[in-house]
Amino acid sequence: MNDKRYPANHKTVFVLDHAPYFGIPCECLIEFDFTKSRGAGFIPLAPISKSLWTCSVEAAIEYCRIVWDIFPEGKLVRFVVSDSTAHILNTWSQSQQNVQHLLNGLSGVSVPPSYRLQDQTDYSVVHGLQAAMKALCECSETQHERRNSLNETASMLMNNCRVICITSARDNTSIKSIQDIFLNELIQANKIAASSDHLIPVNHCHLVIINVYPNNIENVAVNPQALREINSLLSCEVHCAKAGGQIASKLTHLILPHYDLASTTVTGIPMKEEQNASSSANYDVEIFHPSQVHTALLKGHSADVGLIKEGADYETVILKWCTPRGCSVAEMNNCTAMFRATPVDINSRPTSCLVNFLLNGRSVMLETIRRGGGKMISHLLAAHGGEIFIHSLVTGRSILEDPPSISEGSGGRVTDYRITDFGKLMQTNKLVPLRLSEEENKPPWPIDKMKERLNRFTKYWPLTISNTSIFNFKMHLEPLLSLMLNESLTDDEVVECQHCIFTMMTMDSKHEPLQTSLPPIGGNRGKGPKREEQYRIMWSELETYLRSHLHSEQHCRVLHCLLECRNKDIDDKQHVELVQALRELDHLPKYGRSSRTGTPTLGGGDSTQRTSVIRATTDSPMSPPPLQQTNRSRHRTLLEVLISRSNAENAKNKRPEFFGRLSAEPLPGGGSVAKLYPNLKIDSALGRDADRIE
Amino acid sequence: MPTIVAVDVSLSMAQPVALDSGETFTRLQLAIHGINTLLDYFSMYSKLEFVAVVAFSSTCEVISHFTRDFDQLKLKLNRLEECDKQDIESALQAINTIVLSEWGTATPCQVILITDGDTRYDAINLSQPSATLPFPFPGKMVAVALTSPGTLTPNLRRLVEVSGGDGSVVVPDSQLSPTCVQNLFHKLAEDNYSSFTGTLKCGHLSCKVILSPSPVPYTKTTDFDLETMSLTGLLEICGFVEVAHVGSPAAVSRHLVLPHPTSAATPASHAAVKVEPPESDDDNHDDGRTPSFCVLLHGALKVENMAALCQVGNDWYGVLYSWADSKKKSNLMLTLLEPGTDTVPWLGNFKHLGVPSDPENKNPEETFPVRPPEKRSYSQNCVVWIRQAGLQSDIQKILRHARKLPEKTSHFYKELNRVRRAAISLGFMSLVDGLAAILERECTLLPGTAHPDCALQLTHAAGALRKPYSRDPKYNIMPMRTKYTDGD
Repeated sequence: MNDKRYPANHKTVFVLDHAPYFGIPCECLIEFDFTKSRGAGFIPLAPISKSLWTCSVEAAIEYCRIVWDIFPEGKLVRFVVSDSTAHILNTWSQSQQNVQHLLNGLSGVSVPPSYRLQDQTDYSVVHGLQAAMKALCECSETQHERRNSLNETASMLMNNCRVICITSARDNTSIKSIQDIFLNELIQANKIAASSDHLIPVNHCHLVIINVYPNNIENVAVNPQALREINSLLSCEVHCAKAGGQIASKLTHLILPHYDLASTTVTGIPMKEEQNASSSANYDVEIFHPSQVHTALLKGHSADVGLIKEGADYETVILKWCTPRGCSVAEMNNCTAMFRATPVDINSRPTSCLVNFLLNGRSVMLETIRRGGGKMISHLLAAHGGEIFIHSLVTGRSILEDPPSISEGSGGRVTDYRITDFGKLMQTNKLVPLRLSEEENKPPWPIDKMKERLNRFTKYWPLTISNTSIFNFKMHLEPLLSLMLNESLTDDEVVECQHCIFTMMTMDSKHEPLQTSLPPIGGNRGKGPKREEQYRIMWSELETYLRSHLHSEQHCRVLHCLLECRNKDIDDKQHVELVQALRELDHLPKYGRSSRTGTPTLGGGDSTQRTSVIRATTDSPMSPPPLQQTNRSRHRTLLEVLISRSNAENAKNKRPEFFGRLSAEPLPGGGSVAKLYPNLKIDSALGRDADRIE
Repeated sequence: MPTIVAVDVSLSMAQPVALDSGETFTRLQLAIHGINTLLDYFSMYSKLEFVAVVAFSSTCEVISHFTRDFDQLKLKLNRLEECDKQDIESALQAINTIVLSEWGTATPCQVILITDGDTRYDAINLSQPSATLPFPFPGKMVAVALTSPGTLTPNLRRLVEVSGGDGSVVVPDSQLSPTCVQNLFHKLAEDNYSSFTGTLKCGHLSCKVILSPSPVPYTKTTDFDLETMSLTGLLEICGFVEVAHVGSPAAVSRHLVLPHPTSAATPASHAAVKVEPPESDDDNHDDGRTPSFCVLLHGALKVENMAALCQVGNDWYGVLYSWADSKKKSNLMLTLLEPGTDTVPWLGNFKHLGVPSDPENKNPEETFPVRPPEKRSYSQNCVVWIRQAGLQSDIQKILRHARKLPEKTSHFYKELNRVRRAAISLGFMSLVDGLAAILERECTLLPGTAHPDCALQLTHAAGALRKPYSRDPKYNIMPMRTKYTDGD
């Protein structure tokens, strides 16, 4: 029954007595005329008084305010108003779990009906209790979901709940009869629920009766009762409260055990005085939050953290405001727990000062003061996205003390990592919280697409400057290097890329030395490699790079441009298919990721090795659209891929066949004819295309 | 995780153990030998371990507080001497005090209890709630009984069970001897201190890493769920976030991410494109000279002041960032967040994180921090009149606006309607009447210099408050029209 997974606070029903008796004033006068007296003959206005009803309602609403500030979801409260019948103000639906919804409902209920002598109507809180019982047997959204889930938790689901009944009873006997009626209703409702498909029987209910009376009544015939188990289904407690002031404070106390909350008083908050702006006085603000916030403080030191008893019945932990130095949110604090917090006295001036301070994006450290005199920073109070959180910080010694620097470990002595380039990669892969449309709200999730995207970005990525050539010549090779990372390229972008290649070609042919923008490093000190060697390395790496990024037909066009410029072999379109097939093989882990975890691919090197094994091929612009190609290549099995790979390898080892002979068209009378400069037309056609687009 | 060794120095530890070779050792000597074996293991494989030693008899003496100086610790062990009778309670008390004062309640600690057989910590004692057990920190107890093999140790077993965590009792598997004890402690070390090796991966870049301290399985309890989860070993980077946006989320644990010393082969060593001539063979064997993705990532995160979000298990995420203990030595740190996809409210659901589809025209709503759909009470000017001061300040606000009519006409009616609506919700009708009275009285107190609109509006508002239709929450009291211009 005490399974932590099924707390009673998941579902709470407030039953508010709305009988005519609750219309009477609580006899706790509110001094209404607080304008400063203005001369003689001034007649002050009569003080006013809240009714018992107003007192109960505002206390119940305050209870909800605290619950929903700290637990925006999953802690459900319903209101049932009971007079001659039960008025149910909201459902378990999350959309009706807010204070505004309740206040709107309460406006409709209005003040309790007034007494009429001949009135035969049966005003009773029992109607409300019956309705509450029915409500408890209705599944909440989460319960419904759990029940219909097909795992073992479905059968273990426990429906534990709580009813808080604010009423006014004549004597102990009437309280007893309320309990009896409630238990009876509980058993009846469970019977009905057990035979129904959509209702859920109550496993255990905690009934809290708050007996209220006007402040001027001295001898109340109802005695408070401590919590006791009535039977395995029901436990009950009875509290008495003067309507004016005491209901609210009673509920504020009860909420702590109900939701396992604790109180912290932030002390020493410096605040400018309105009248005297030069001086500042210190104020305290009390907040509520889940009790785990204090766990670290209280364990082992419970007598030591300055717990004081307020004028009230609960304890509060005093934490001292530490005047903030610098911006502390911008760093990662070592935080073991964080919970939402809410102020207890929400409209007081110190509270609103603290709240505004936090909501404006500032945060404050809080210090624990030990009785012995020691103090330490133990908590952080900060707002994130308009919500106030209290973070528990680690106060003990860190076991990560004095760690070795990363420069002492493996790879630590390498000095030429491409840090700036990786920084750029990080900036282009910065996450944002995406608003998903209805059809996007299903797998694959954006975060999974991110992994694919990072795969693309790191396909060819040398770790160090000395291991790469092309990334050191960005002034010539951009935007080619970054454009190739895109999933698709426009015609314009292809032209830009081709332009980069042409520029390099021109430089090469003019024998201009390649200037890196970087100072020589490591082994490069002194005389660098010869110019021819530089170009050779650059061209070969560029080819590897382009081959790693054949994401579309357009990408292939850039590669073809390079190959043509370099007078490399261009044969058939088999190559593109192969790359496609290999790429699909690369993508296989998407569907069976677990098999891959043990042996992660070694990155760009792997695929470039594969592609470089296969001879270069090309495609004309008239070739079939890529979609068709992917479809075709999808039919290729791993075996086929391997066979063609080994064929290609074999072909490489043989003396290469003349290109002309390979591409020649056989003549009817034997022999064959090969076309010279087959790309000439294509190039000019391409140029025309580009013209048209421009 | 820090280790605290509690060694029994009661008189029974002086029992001699005779070997076949004719040598004799006391059990205490064997125990010290065992601890030395453990310390040797640490200096080999786990240099970052902290070890403390306490010796207990009827009282408990702290031999060494937590330290990484294992040589010093060994010297101190030699000074151990047998005392009077055994009292485990005193040892447990000392352990709790030392651990809590040093590490607090959140750090998992290993407790190794060495004794010479079953304890006299009898079952009657254990059936009562004890002040010392279970440990007030996530502790794991291994009890070593230096006794003949096959001895039953039901009390020790109970003790380990009550201590919480998944501890065990270890008994020698052969006749007691220095070799046997050495093997026993070596196995204990291997079982409990194996380092966690995993793979850090970002797309095609990857690198083998060691997490220090080793992560322990985490049990998450929420309403309706109880789940124990462990890391898969793959830390897959999903993207990057500015450190300021990460905030300081609650961490299940924090771990140093150290490059694995043997993972020298890194993906980017493309032999074909090496600009540099290969370095001499000696240098190639040097770990420090072989590029490691881990170091690159750390450097970039530090320079950009960013953090990397990585997935560490099914629906479990962590944050990688550069962390410095001192100003000089910085390191790559992994903060394991609470398992689940929406455990950090201001980051939103992790599954929904991605890059905007159109980076040029960003959706202004797609930024950190993620805001909840509903405002909390403290940021929405809600009405709470439980304390009289709350009510009085609301009324004074209306009166302040009233004196500044007609400039504040809209504010005046806005506040008036707000208070009126709240009063209707709470069934506080005497307040509505009272408000009418106070406005009428305010009218009579107006100074001669007041704008004529002042009196008109106050009388109008007071009259409206007394009308039955103003009890309708949907009704809004509107300002009286005092200016009749051509358009009207």
